[in-house]
Amino acid sequence: MDSIQVGNFKFQLDLSKPLYEQVLQHIRQAIARGDVLLGTKLPSVRDLAQQLKLNPNTVMRAYQELDRDHLTETRRGQGTFITSDSETVEQVKKALAREAVIAFVSSMKNLGINRSTTESLLKEVTWHE
Amino acid sequence: MSSALEFKHLSKSYGSKIALNDLTVSFPAGQITGLIGPNGAGKSTLLKAIVGLVKPQQGSIGIFGQRAHWKSNSEIAYLPDRAKWYKSHTIKQALTYALNILPGFDLPRALEMANLMCLDLDVLVSTLSEGQEARLHIILCLARRVKLVLLDEPFSGIDLLSRETIIQLLINSMLDQPQTILISSHEIHEAESLFEHVVFLNKGQLVLEGNAEALRQEKGSIESIYRGLFR
Repeated sequence: MDSIQVGNFKFQLDLSKPLYEQVLQHIRQAIARGDVLLGTKLPSVRDLAQQLKLNPNTVMRAYQELDRDHLTETRRGQGTFITSDSETVEQVKKALAREAVIAFVSSMKNLGINRSTTESLLKEVTWHE
Repeated sequence: MSSALEFKHLSKSYGSKIALNDLTVSFPAGQITGLIGPNGAGKSTLLKAIVGLVKPQQGSIGIFGQRAHWKSNSEIAYLPDRAKWYKSHTIKQALTYALNILPGFDLPRALEMANLMCLDLDVLVSTLSEGQEARLHIILCLARRVKLVLLDEPFSGIDLLSRETIIQLLINSMLDQPQTILISSHEIHEAESLFEHVVFLNKGQLVLEGNAEALRQEKGSIESIYRGLFR
């Protein structure tokens, strides 16, 4: 699927994976990266569902999950807003980084590569900022 | 999750041709379910059986916990496979007439939908393109305040723009009122991101069913599952 810009967010959905997780992931990463300002309003459920052609329940489920992580706050009748608490964002960012590291480590293990080799490989790799 | 529809041991044949073969399946309430299968899988027969247009030789149909009955039809909006409307009506007349014959029909809402779907109210039904007529028929279903909506092949044989406006309308409709919507289709790509539950039929029997997200997790896109099953 092509990438679709909705408000400050860019989505690229893959129909072969759970859609709710992808919506969640896209928004969570955009917040963690700092692509969107703290306190900004998220697109309404209707807008996001319409633009991405998703079942509104899928979008709502993702928004509920963001609320649960305190990354967003849904105010009755006003919409869903990104938290203004940078501490929360930092924590979520760290959690996402930890998840990525765990996935990386397990793929290294699957290749039969040990810790010290992995560490030296990491030092060698070119890190484009 | 409670069921909107429950079929038990449903069988129907037309002469020697078997349409439904001892089919037992249920559909969750408040969700959009895709009823998927190739031509002749029994999809249309199943939908017709719900509204009493087809009498199964065996089995039972439960609608929101009640045995199917002609009275349950007032709570069901059904879009037949090849829907037709009076050619001499304008769209406005069609919608006004619908108000008189279809239980729960919300005329202001229908007019709003017609506007959204770019249908000119003064145009005659006889002059509509297939895509435009399909839009009219979808409005006649979705503008009703009913618990259950059955759409038989709403996307087949119409232009891309009409398909997209129908999807737009379905999304709005889901937000405006909690409904159970069944969409039968053999062209999945269009609507697969709307499905929350999927039921695959073939030769009148259940092949596979499940939550759409769980199926994506396990097996990939609904379209690829369909290919795998029916290739």
